[in-house]
Order: sequence, then C-alpha cells, then structure tokens
Amino acid sequence: MNITRRLITVGFAAVLAAGVAMPAFAADLIAIITPSHDNPFFKAEAVGAEAKAKELGYETLVLVHDDDANKQSQLIDTAIGRGAKAIILDNAGADASVAAVQKAKDAGIPSFLIDREINASGVAVSQIVSNNYQGAQLGAEEFVRLMGEKGNYVELVGKESDTNAGIRSKGYHDVIDEYPDLKMVAQQSANWSQTEAYSKMETILQANPDIQGVIAGNDTMAMGAIAALQAAGKNDVIVVGFDGSNDVRDSIKAGGIKATVLQPAYAQAQMAVQQAHDYITTGKTPAEEKQLMDCVLINADNADKLETFALAD
Amino acid sequence: MRLKAAAVILLASALGLTGCKLVKTADKDREAEAGAFDPDRLVAEMWDGKVIPYLEQRAAPLRDVLAATAADPDAAGRKHGYKAKQGNAPWTFIARVDGTIVAEETKSRAAYVDVDVDGDAKADVRVAIGPAIRGTALRDSLDFVDFNAFKNQIEWAQFGKSFNTYVNGTLLEKLPRENLTGKTLTATGAYPLPAKGQLPQMVPATIAIGG
Repeated sequence: MNITRRLITVGFAAVLAAGVAMPAFAADLIAIITPSHDNPFFKAEAVGAEAKAKELGYETLVLVHDDDANKQSQLIDTAIGRGAKAIILDNAGADASVAAVQKAKDAGIPSFLIDREINASGVAVSQIVSNNYQGAQLGAEEFVRLMGEKGNYVELVGKESDTNAGIRSKGYHDVIDEYPDLKMVAQQSANWSQTEAYSKMETILQANPDIQGVIAGNDTMAMGAIAALQAAGKNDVIVVGFDGSNDVRDSIKAGGIKATVLQPAYAQAQMAVQQAHDYITTGKTPAEEKQLMDCVLINADNADKLETFALAD
Repeated sequence: MRLKAAAVILLASALGLTGCKLVKTADKDREAEAGAFDPDRLVAEMWDGKVIPYLEQRAAPLRDVLAATAADPDAAGRKHGYKAKQGNAPWTFIARVDGTIVAEETKSRAAYVDVDVDGDAKADVRVAIGPAIRGTALRDSLDFVDFNAFKNQIEWAQFGKSFNTYVNGTLLEKLPRENLTGKTLTATGAYPLPAKGQLPQMVPATIAIGG
C-alpha cells in the first residue's frame, strides 16, 4: 500500500516535471515582485525587468508586496504554484524575507534580488544592490557644499526594516559629522513615504522653524519635505534626496530640490533578469552573489540627462 | 643557520596568524555570536601583516600607472589595481608617489596636497591628509577582502571607514600642516579611476613629507 502510494506519487511528480519542462505549450515564466509601484523607483525596476524578460522570450508575472512580509510570502507561493523558472525580487525586509527566498529555493526556484539585501547569503543566487554608501557620501558632500559647511538641518530616514535606510544614513553622517558647524536638529523616519514625510516635516517645522537644510533617504520623502517647506513659505531651504526620480529631476530643474543621487534601477533590474536567464539556460551563477552598482550625483548640471532612472551619455 | 631558519619560520607563522584572522565566514560567525563586529580591530590586525605587504608589492610608480591607464584602463587595472568581479565599481589603482608638493588645502577638514611627480611643476595626484577622508579606496584596492564575507552593506561600509580612521590616527595626524608647498612627499596608496580631467584622489597607506 505504502509502496504503491509512493510509486503513484513519483509517477505524478514525473508527469508534473514533464509538463513544466515542455516549453512548446507556453513560454517559461519569470515572476517579478517589488514594493508598490506608487513609488516610481519600484515601478522602473518592474518595467525594466519585464522588458528584459520579454526580450529574452519569457512570460512575466508582475506582483507587488506593499512592503508586507506576509503578502510577500503569499506571492512567493503564487510564483511557486505557477511554476516560475526564476523570481526577481525587491524584498520586504532584510530579516523577514530570508524565509520566503529559502522557500522558493527549496521548491527549486532561484531568486535574483535587486535593490535591497537580505541578511543571509547562499539563499538567493544574486543580490544586486546599489552602492548606497558610496551614493550617500556623494549626496552628503553636495549637501555640505550647498550648506556652506554650516547650519541647522533635518534628516528624514527610510523604513527601518530596510538595510538601505541605515546604510544611507550612515553614509550621510560619515561625511556631514566631519563638519562641527552643521547641526542636526531633528532626525525622523518617514518610512520612504511622501505623505508621511509631508506631515513629519510640518511637525518638525513647528518645533524647529530655524532650519537651512533637509537631507532625505529617498526621493519620495524629499518630495514630501519640499512640499511642506513650500507650504510654510520656506523656499530657500536646501533639500537633497536619493534615487534619481523624474519627479525630483523636474523639481531640480524648477529650482526646488537641489540634488539627488541616481541609482541605476532600470539597469539593475535588467542585469538581474540576464543573470536569471543565464542560470536557467546554462546553470551558470554569477562570480559573486552580492554585487554593488555605483551611484551618480544628480544636480542642476546634469538633471537634463536623467530619464526613468537612467542617465543619457 | 638553524637558528635563523627557526626565526624565519617563527616570523612566517606569526605573519600567517595575523593574516588569516579576517573576514572569513567562520570568524564572522564567531563574531556574530559574540555580538561584536569590530571593524577598527579587523583593520588594525591586518594592517602590518597583510595590507602593507600587499600594497608595497602591487604598487608601481604613479607615472607608470597613469601612463598605462591612459592607454588601456582595463589592462592597467588588472596590472596595477583591483575591482570586485561583479557589479560596476571602477578600478581602484595602487601606486607609489615620489614628488614635490605644488599646492595645499589645509583649511578644509578634508585636507589634501597636490603633488608633482614628473618635474613639470603641475599636479599629477591629490593626496588626502585628513582628518576627513573621502571614499573607501584602501579597502577597495585589496584583493583579499570581499563584500560577500560581510553581513550587509552597513558592516562593509564600517569596515571601509575603519581604514581611513586607521591611517588618520597612525599617520596623518602626525604630519606637518603648514608651508607644505615646495616640500618633497613620498607615499604609497590607492585611488579610484578618476573622472575625465580630474586628478587621482589618493588615500595614502604610507606617507612621509620631507624638506
């Protein structure tokens, strides 16, 4: 009885495997899972990954986890259930996502992480992330220069569960703290959110009307901050962001936000799909799992060349 | 003779000991268990035994490195530098500077001197003299340390910063700060591939400013 059941199971698995391995019926599937596309950065990643996947002949399944680790876990189940050949993932938390990526690996589906790290190696095939420390130092050096090496400033920090929030803050402070005449009067998390940054900035301004600068951990928070500053009639406060979104580009060109740091989100997503394709077709893994992509400072000098997280030559 | 051989073995094993302490996964795990990631200690322990011998061995005269880079940056990088296998980081070059200081900036906290190495009185390289040091060139020049051996970007960044802290504390703080222009300078250090038209920005690992 037991043996029969086992034989049936094996046979069933073989049929399943045969079905999955037959590309004649449909193209292979790549799942692309990111945070909400409300933030244009994540949208650019998804669009970049999808374009590359289609170019290489894959079908795509584009999903968003809204920074909810439970939802992410369900989406990974969906990708497994649909027989995805690979998962491109911008994850929902450095610690919380390890189990989800492991679950995919156990089901035989390789994951290629973009933008955010997880606190484990050997679980994903690749982790392609921006060199956030290098980028934050570029942004901070520009901020220091624009501030004339002095003044009161506010820092808006990203979501705590995301390693990128901490690393950018560290990059900022490793530069700014070298200047004793620059004084941080408030430091708050606005969780990468534009609306939250707006309301936090309003509150901070009530307690600290005398500020000359705001440095934000991403562009959506910078957009929220400058809207609150402008609503309060403070049009000469220096605001610097991080990401290189078209919104901030337009603000720079209009004389609002002064600078940001471009993360090559589009190229990063495409690189992840290429590595997934190489892995699927040849079994080849990249030479190193964790891969850093350098960032570029964007200010009034080069804002014109910026379009959808890529800089024209 | 035997005594000498014994001494050599002793020295070699001492070097080997300091050499293998670092950034290996096993050590990292042990540290994680102890809850103590201490990048300053990691750098201090690898400095004399690994970092300096590596840099001294790899470094070529700056003039040669610059000429090779102008001809073919990738070939020059393979010969005189290092970069991570994946990702898009630029080459970090390793070079020896022997020249004359032609300009100084010591008011900024990110102080530096510009040095002429070919006798044309024009600057060929900008050498950081602290206390603020930009970037992570020293870390990025080493082929025996690897981001993949660290828990995340934060620890990797702290490790990079610790090299700057170390050279500042052991070397740069002791340098003279006034009337540097016209003095000779010798240094061994690292710099990332400079942007077009910009001077190489070197972080020194050894430095001496003479008469």
